Amino acid sequence: MQTMLMYDSTIGELLERLYAVISFEEGDEPAWDGLKQVFSEHARITRISHEGTDYLSLSDFLAMTRSLVDAGAYTSFYEVEVARRVEHFGNVAQVFSAYETRRHRRASQALDRGVNSIQLIREGGRWRVLGLLWDETYTNPKLDFSALFPTEDARG
Amino acid sequence: MAKIRSFFSRTRKVQTADRFVSELQNEGIIMQRAGSGDGPEWVIDGSPLKNFGSCSYMGLERHPLLLAGAEEALRRYGSNFSISRAYLQCSLYEELEEALGRAMGRHVIVTPSTTLAHLAALPILVGERDLVLLDQFAHASLHMATELIDDVPIELVRHSRLDAIERQLVEAGDRYDRVWYLCDGVYSMLGDFAPFAGLATLLKRYPKLHLYVDDAHAMSWAGQSGRGMALQHFPSSERVFVAVSLSKAFGATGGALALPSSELKERVRRCGGPMVFSGPIPPAGLGAALASARLHLEPEFETMQLELGDRIESARTLLGERGLALATDDATPIFMLHYDATWEVTNVIRALRERGFFCCPSTFPAVPMNKPSIRFTVSRHNSLPDIRELVEHLSAVSAPRHSIVRPQASEDEMSLESQSAAG
Repeated sequence: MQTMLMYDSTIGELLERLYAVISFEEGDEPAWDGLKQVFSEHARITRISHEGTDYLSLSDFLAMTRSLVDAGAYTSFYEVEVARRVEHFGNVAQVFSAYETRRHRRASQALDRGVNSIQLIREGGRWRVLGLLWDETYTNPKLDFSALFPTEDARG
Repeated sequence: MAKIRSFFSRTRKVQTADRFVSELQNEGIIMQRAGSGDGPEWVIDGSPLKNFGSCSYMGLERHPLLLAGAEEALRRYGSNFSISRAYLQCSLYEELEEALGRAMGRHVIVTPSTTLAHLAALPILVGERDLVLLDQFAHASLHMATELIDDVPIELVRHSRLDAIERQLVEAGDRYDRVWYLCDGVYSMLGDFAPFAGLATLLKRYPKLHLYVDDAHAMSWAGQSGRGMALQHFPSSERVFVAVSLSKAFGATGGALALPSSELKERVRRCGGPMVFSGPIPPAGLGAALASARLHLEPEFETMQLELGDRIESARTLLGERGLALATDDATPIFMLHYDATWEVTNVIRALRERGFFCCPSTFPAVPMNKPSIRFTVSRHNSLPDIRELVEHLSAVSAPRHSIVRPQASEDEMSLESQSAAG
């Protein structure tokens, strides 16, 4: 995997943490405290779904996630980044991050594939997620990322 | 603490469910029309398919005694008995409740369905100073019924997690008169049992704990005289209340509540909304149910249960030999296999139907988003050779095999490095 532009290596660490804290094993829960650390307190999370667009604060996002877990809509969640494009200037970075969700870590097929648009801000010397936006109306378990990430190791 | 509040609006949830269900409907694998009755085969689109989808686990729907019972009731009482039971009820009700009472060892009141049993019972059983714990995977009808008791705190509990139940009991302390745990005896999708042994321990440890069990999928095939799992485990507990179905393995129609006292039974009859305001079961259904209840009391019924048990064990053994992991280790007539993606489920269902087998897809909202699954059932209609044939075909069309291995909680962390961007 290569990046199109040079960026602070801690951006990569933050993105890895982001995917780690939203994922959780069977019977477990997302890392709620970890989520609060990854996001800026001013973060906006936007989810475009077939049923409408959710414009969420961080607390709304946590409430939505908890609601889905409590109701059993997800008993585990495993999302992993498979390709990334980063642009970085000063304390600002924007990331196009291709992801796969899987039933569990060893699953042979993706449940779904899509792209997260992530805006980062460096606050107090640490990168945090200021914006997270994704579009579920275009996700597809067989989505080919090669057009979006021509120079990346986009796995089809 | 408040009643369950979903993040999403009711309309939004309907839209989401509609989308997921429509996808399977558009694939042509649900919402289909049968060209035959229940039995060893179902005719769909003119093709006979071996029936591995029925909830008539005991295969009683064509038993001569049930057919005769229905016919006699139809001739004697006509096609309908159209008056509220609050005023007048068909005499078959009393005979049926008496026979069910002997089979189940409880005071039984028959209801038009299991769902209506919940709607009738819960507002009467649950007091205004009680706490309700609802298993997240309890049947949808139980979730629905809690809408009628939304003046008390209702907490969703992770599926069969005794630790979560006990935590709630400890936290509840003396703040509530009673703490109810609402669950299924056998879960209709996963096919697993409620954690009865652990619940027995909690019942002893916490006098405030009361169980309300939807045992619809355990009726008839499980327990002495087919009383189901909950009453088999708790035959005489004053703190266990059970709803069952007469429309699944029982082979007839309707539902029933098995209650610890005649006073409570009468109260449900007097005050349970659907008992007064919902239409009664037609006489033919009552006649079939009465015949089935009497059959449950015959010595031969245990032999019939064992016949089903042999089929369940055979299917489990064959699946295990082929490395097809089930969602549960519990031996019930419900078999669920998880797949990694919904399109795999669709492909496997189609392939099985091309090979002459009817199984069911189970995707969200019937199961969690992360567990697209195939659900099949085994009944006394299924011969041992047919079961072997199904498993062979299931194995053949489920490649790659490792994709349906059940994940182990203790599995080693897989390196993210190989899958994520290098940064």
